Amino acid sequence: MRARVIWLVALVLLGVVASGCISGGGGTQTSSAKIQLTGDFTKDAVAVGKALQQNGISEVRFSAWGSGDPNSVMRVYGIVEAARRINRIWEKNGIKVKITITDTHYVASFQDAYKEYLSKQPLGQAGDFFVNSYAFLPTLADEGYILDITDYAKAYKSVIDDFYPSLIEASKFKGRLYGLPQDTEARPLYIRKDVAARIGLNLNGLDGKVKNGEFTWSDVYMWAKKAKESGVEWGLIHRKGSAHPDLIQFIFAFGGKLYDPNTGKLVVDVPAVYKWLYVEWKFARDGLLPKDIMSWDWAKQIHPTVVEGKTLFDIGGTWYWTEWQTKQYYNGRSLTPEEVRKWFYYTLFPAGEKGDKPVTLSQPFIWMINSKAGQQNPKYDELKDVYHELAFLMVVKASDPDINAIHSVISAHLPVRKAAAKLIKDEKWLNDLKNLNLDLDPAVKDNIKDIVKATVNPINAEFLANVSYMLEYTHLAPAHPKYPALADIFKEAVDRVLRGEMTPKDAVNFIIQKVKADSELAQNVEIVGKIPENWKFPQ
Amino acid sequence: MKDVETRPRRYSRVIILTILLASLPLIVGFSLLVISSFSTEMVTNLNPSSFHLTLENWISVFHGKLATTGGIRAPILRITLNTLIVALGVAGVVTAVSALAGYSLSRVNFRGRKHMMILLLVLHAFPGVALIVGVYLLYRLTFPQSMDIVRLYSFMYVIFARAALEIPMSVWLMKGFFDTIPWEFEWSGIIDGASRITVWRKIMLPLIKPGILAVALFAFLAGWQDIIYVRTFLIDQTLATFIEANIEAEFSHMPMIAAAGTLYLLPTIIFFITAQQLLLQGYSGGIKG
Amino acid sequence: MNVKREKLTTLSFFLSPMAVMVVLFYLVPLIMTVYISFTRMRNWNVSKYLTEFVGFYNYHRLLYMFQHDPTFKAVLLTTVVFVGITLIINVFGGLALALATFFIEDKPASAFRLLWLLPRMSPIAVYSLVWYYFFHGSEIGTLNSILMKLGVISQPIPWGQIVPWGAWSIIIFVNGLVGVSFGMIVFTSALNQIPKELVIAARVDGASSWQISRRILIPMIRWHLLYVLTWQFLSLLTTYPHLFLLVQWDLVNGDYGTTLALYVFNTAFGMGEQDQGLAAAAAVLLSVIGIIGGFVTLKVLKFERMMKRPRGDF
Repeated sequence: MRARVIWLVALVLLGVVASGCISGGGGTQTSSAKIQLTGDFTKDAVAVGKALQQNGISEVRFSAWGSGDPNSVMRVYGIVEAARRINRIWEKNGIKVKITITDTHYVASFQDAYKEYLSKQPLGQAGDFFVNSYAFLPTLADEGYILDITDYAKAYKSVIDDFYPSLIEASKFKGRLYGLPQDTEARPLYIRKDVAARIGLNLNGLDGKVKNGEFTWSDVYMWAKKAKESGVEWGLIHRKGSAHPDLIQFIFAFGGKLYDPNTGKLVVDVPAVYKWLYVEWKFARDGLLPKDIMSWDWAKQIHPTVVEGKTLFDIGGTWYWTEWQTKQYYNGRSLTPEEVRKWFYYTLFPAGEKGDKPVTLSQPFIWMINSKAGQQNPKYDELKDVYHELAFLMVVKASDPDINAIHSVISAHLPVRKAAAKLIKDEKWLNDLKNLNLDLDPAVKDNIKDIVKATVNPINAEFLANVSYMLEYTHLAPAHPKYPALADIFKEAVDRVLRGEMTPKDAVNFIIQKVKADSELAQNVEIVGKIPENWKFPQ
Repeated sequence: MKDVETRPRRYSRVIILTILLASLPLIVGFSLLVISSFSTEMVTNLNPSSFHLTLENWISVFHGKLATTGGIRAPILRITLNTLIVALGVAGVVTAVSALAGYSLSRVNFRGRKHMMILLLVLHAFPGVALIVGVYLLYRLTFPQSMDIVRLYSFMYVIFARAALEIPMSVWLMKGFFDTIPWEFEWSGIIDGASRITVWRKIMLPLIKPGILAVALFAFLAGWQDIIYVRTFLIDQTLATFIEANIEAEFSHMPMIAAAGTLYLLPTIIFFITAQQLLLQGYSGGIKG
Repeated sequence: MNVKREKLTTLSFFLSPMAVMVVLFYLVPLIMTVYISFTRMRNWNVSKYLTEFVGFYNYHRLLYMFQHDPTFKAVLLTTVVFVGITLIINVFGGLALALATFFIEDKPASAFRLLWLLPRMSPIAVYSLVWYYFFHGSEIGTLNSILMKLGVISQPIPWGQIVPWGAWSIIIFVNGLVGVSFGMIVFTSALNQIPKELVIAARVDGASSWQISRRILIPMIRWHLLYVLTWQFLSLLTTYPHLFLLVQWDLVNGDYGTTLALYVFNTAFGMGEQDQGLAAAAAVLLSVIGIIGGFVTLKVLKFERMMKRPRGDF
């Protein structure tokens, strides 16, 4: 017994010492192999495959990590499909190498996925492919946790150019490209058609009036009030929380900004923030917006209120459209596509006041590559560059228009490239998708068939096509490491204003005080402008 | 069992009723959780219209899916097994280490004994969430290069690191339990010429079974529900991290989370029921084994 | 000489496993943590920040925040109230439960123990979910709906938003339930170690349950009481997981639902960045409070007297 314990202790100590030596000794060898990418996908894939084969590699193992709502699983299956497509190219060209996706890791909370990536990346245990919000890209890039693909991307200019430029910008950090956009979305203002008809709000051409800034938040207020007076429970319902930066649309709608690219600092634009808080305050005081909306329950309060027609307006997201069809929010059942189309009108988020522009907000997800991609494979030190190039090619392949279009349709996100946007308008293709009559990996087909059954139909595709113009008006929340902290403060302020604990003016001062309390946050935030004391709402 | 012969029945009724009243929130809260796991919608208010019977949640959970449509099938059996490995590992290590240390702190007089007790207590003042930074550094330094043993090592490391967090508490507890054993039992062994180690193993351990069980139970639960250490160090998922990562206020289908949560509770309930005979089996007056 | 050698081997047999574990996973990391509190360590990037020494920057930043954050006063007050009241509930609730289940039949006793152990057994997120729905401030909340059915109230009460006592009650309740089970199990096992003869003899003499508890049972488990009290005090000071989601989901008011530990956690880890340097500095500050508190409790409860010298040692 005693001997055994002593042995155990000795063993542990030995293990500690030994592995310490190992990790210390494993120096970095410069890799010798590198392939010049040409931009011709097949040619590049073949060259990479040949290089691997020559080095005696017969299997390349990768893992893919994704996160988000359950219908967005193409975030990892896209990689699985890309692997199959490259495998097929290799097969056709007689290359005996195979890519295997060993692990598909997908969780609901993208913040959780990010935290896990942060702690496991330095250990070499994080996914080789990581899809997450662009908001985390700067930190990951700054720490060297993701691969700089600027040089690889040069050869693929034609592919890059097909993406919407603002999304490519979101994938950059300090001018270098660190990933390819995977999806994006818009956050429309939904209007209940039945309620609108009852109070005489003419929806014909309303989206045009919103577009040219004619219909502003003062009009939203007026109609919300009319709805309330006519007996509808609420005038407006909006989203809550700080993880999803929905309400900051107000800042942009009032012509404010959140980030100054010249200084690289976040901005608290006092006039715009004040107006935003004032609107919230006014809506809540007049009973048009629940004062405790920030503690409403998503599934039991927010969505049911909207789908049951107890409000005129709702600030939501494009994904609501299919969410209402797949989740049972309406008296214990879900809506049919026809019902959603019949009941909901959608426009951009209106301009704050006359002279401002309508907006929407996107939070693109980006396909990022682990800076240690391929580490699970043999001869990593020598073939590092080849593995990285292969990983890049896989992301390019996973951005194939059809893969991107499938993701958009089944998850109600917006396509990130023009070719995919064109595809979702193609009726024949849509029909093929509905019947899963597409050239896809059987495993992928098997996993998405229930989503396809529930979501693929002409009404939903038409919706996506109709809202994609909103991307022209989109703003992105700043991709700044300190932005989440600021967003949290905003959320706290909004909550207080809605509950009536603070006036909009107090709340602005509260925000400033909170920002200044954290010296590190204060260094990263500029506070500009003054409270417009005489500002009136509604006008 | 305890003082059946002389106890007035009446009082015991009153006591039961009192505890029952105090337990009402717990009973209601957890019953609703279980009921919701069989419903398409969370049952939270006593409004029966929110209950629509379905087994879909449970079927999904057994398939490792926590979503009505889409989602990815996680290997739920494997995940449960991982959780068991971690929990049992932590329980084993903690029980063994603290049974050894608790005995000597209770029964052997040596210099620094008191200080050691105080040090153990003070260590607990250091929150695990901060300690984890240092534990991570050590992990980083000792992390094996070879891919073959990485998984094994991560299990070993999580078990030992997580067990260490429970050690101060368990050693203190164990010491307390050893203290309650009358010294005479030990003397009889020592007079027979047995070494302290033999006395510990043959005489003392059987006597403090309730203590061992209490320690093992807490250690098991600690390993079973740990999130921070497991998420940071373990390469594989456990049930706790699986549920945690899939609970998202906006998207998650909560009845499925309720089913997963209930499933998660089952092994611990079984563990408790089978083990609790030990907990109640107190000192019975004789020397065994 | 030989005797001494033998004692040493015996001691090392008993103590070395613990020593190794404590040194490896407690003392060494602890020293590293103190060191890290003086660096700019963040995002787990050991290779980049391990040598980036910033002196007292993290401490300075924390203390500055404590002084200037408009919500910090509420946080401090919440911490004091939360730790104080929850501690009392944990220790005396646990004791009451242990004693109560001691005096009733085995079957209901073990059912109750299981029931009260559920909070500790549940995954934290699911446990939070149970109370989230239970205390929800609208008509979907269980408590509100019961009270409305009973006709006690006509409008739902936003429990968690009534500051400060509504928010405090919820966080104390939720954490108290978890803590009570700890005391309960420890005391139950300790009570079962007490020779039955003592209890039976007292019964024969006509003592009531209350007298038995006060005169015999409680004095016999003094060590466990001291231990649970000190231990829970330190736990409560540094705990945050059971609060985190309640605040995150806006069930309770952010200011009066946040304790110092949660405040620090949110600042260091909650928002995009993982600032381990700041967390380490906060941990050092928190543990200084904890250590002082720990020593005070030990003094007050006369730890010295309880650390009896083992009898009949060799």
